[in-house]
Amino acid sequence: MTSGRKLIFASVALALVQIIFLGWMIVDRAAVLRDGREVLLKVEPVDPRDLLRGDYVILSYGISRIPLSMIADIDELDEELATRTTIVVRLRKAQDGYWEAANAWVKPPPAPAGADEVDIEGQIPALNRVHMQGEVRVTYGIERFYLPEGEGRAIERDMGTRPFAVRVAVSKAGKSQVKALIDGDQLLFQEPLY
Amino acid sequence: MARYVVRLRQDVERWVSNGLIDTGTAGKLLADAESRDRQGFGSGTVLAMMAALLLGAAILIFVAANWEAFPRLLRVGALFSVIAGGYVGGAIFKSRGHRAIGEALWIVAAAAFGGSLALIGQMYHISGDESAAMLTWCAATALAATVLRSGPLTVAAVGIADAWLAGLLTGGLFSFSHVATPHLFLPVAAVLFAISYWTQSATARHLILLSVIAYASWLVVDGNIVENGFVMACVSAGLFAVAHVAPREVDNVVRLGGRLPVHALIGFLVAMALLQIELEGEGTFVVAASVTLAGIVAAIVLQGRTSRGLRWIAYLAFALELCLIYGVTMGTMLGTAGFFLFAAVLLGLLAVIILRFEKRMGQTRTDEGRA
Repeated sequence: MTSGRKLIFASVALALVQIIFLGWMIVDRAAVLRDGREVLLKVEPVDPRDLLRGDYVILSYGISRIPLSMIADIDELDEELATRTTIVVRLRKAQDGYWEAANAWVKPPPAPAGADEVDIEGQIPALNRVHMQGEVRVTYGIERFYLPEGEGRAIERDMGTRPFAVRVAVSKAGKSQVKALIDGDQLLFQEPLY
Repeated sequence: MARYVVRLRQDVERWVSNGLIDTGTAGKLLADAESRDRQGFGSGTVLAMMAALLLGAAILIFVAANWEAFPRLLRVGALFSVIAGGYVGGAIFKSRGHRAIGEALWIVAAAAFGGSLALIGQMYHISGDESAAMLTWCAATALAATVLRSGPLTVAAVGIADAWLAGLLTGGLFSFSHVATPHLFLPVAAVLFAISYWTQSATARHLILLSVIAYASWLVVDGNIVENGFVMACVSAGLFAVAHVAPREVDNVVRLGGRLPVHALIGFLVAMALLQIELEGEGTFVVAASVTLAGIVAAIVLQGRTSRGLRWIAYLAFALELCLIYGVTMGTMLGTAGFFLFAAVLLGLLAVIILRFEKRMGQTRTDEGRA
């Protein structure tokens, strides 16, 4: 085999590996959307712009701040959790249809979620309980909603005046994915699988 | 490079007519220079690279616009075809001898990979780990550089790693993972440095060394400036010494065309600058300033002959150092007029020194040539 042929074969293999990797990312995300359980979350807005990915609104949820006392196993942990850690938050559907945080664990939950409950995975920053106001900020990886260029400002303005909500799909493993953005009763954006 | 071949041809013709070399040797010399010239960066290569970078930027910004006229799946498909077309097309061009076009297409493919990552983040509203996304892009580009044995792709991977580091240090990048501290830059740089040997990219190695100096400066500023600055200056001086004592052995390892002392000098100067700014107003400032001046003079005396770039960096540092000393010690007493007078005298002096030095350097070289 000539070195030219070898190079072409290498490039084909390389392109395949990279495309399969990207495709796998898409399939993985689409699976959460397709199979995940749906929960409805109340949002509170903020907004800048991502140069590389365009307009988006930053979403903050009712479940983005949870009281430290809600974390059931916090006393088993060190006074200072020196690094970021994963947390499992158990959501329960309230009377008004929105889902709210009911319990949380840093270690795996002792019992599986009930029929009207969903476990969602989030990240908490390094904790120092002495300096905390009794609350902790949780990020779930669903804090952004990307919009076509130019539509971010209008939505941000509207969010200030009336309640918005987000429908989120949560996989069995606790991975979450934004499914739809809702303005009051009106569905603004619904995400296709692909 | 092309200019070098033209000059060499004139020289070779003269040597042949002087009877210094025979026509056979002349032909061999010219053929060797020309074949090396083809590997280097001509203006065509530079233009092809610029076109590739522009195309890559266009892809990234097109993704950012989130234009809904095309369905997403079409956009993903288009980016995937750019990846495949770029890598395979580049390989075909390169194997047919069109090196510049091949390398340029590979750069476009690497940009399309980054664009795909951004697009997937956009499609699924992923607010998560920007740092991990950048590192994934860097790893994919480094993989492509290794598989295709491409120097420009190696440089691109270093560039992405640098952008990641800059983003992390300025707080512009969000990360979930506590592994993604700026210190992760060192192992990343080490891996890219290793790859650069395989891809024969001295440019990548130069860029990595400059990036490591930038990283080290951050370390110095972030911690105890005096202690860390001292360590950084000592390490740089040590590298300079090793490179001076055993130039051939060192260059066999780092393969930087004998330019390790230049990097060592830059590292030393940056460390000393940080130290002096920190020590301003203290008695030890004079010590630090003297060490800096001594270092500059030592660099010129020891290595000035071998590298013109090193000489000019040293001259510039010398001028800046004098300004710094002036600013710290006398600036408060004299007014602006005094500073201008000082600057005029300084520049005049510097001109005289540089002119004499450059003349001497030129002379020793012709002497060596004669001997």
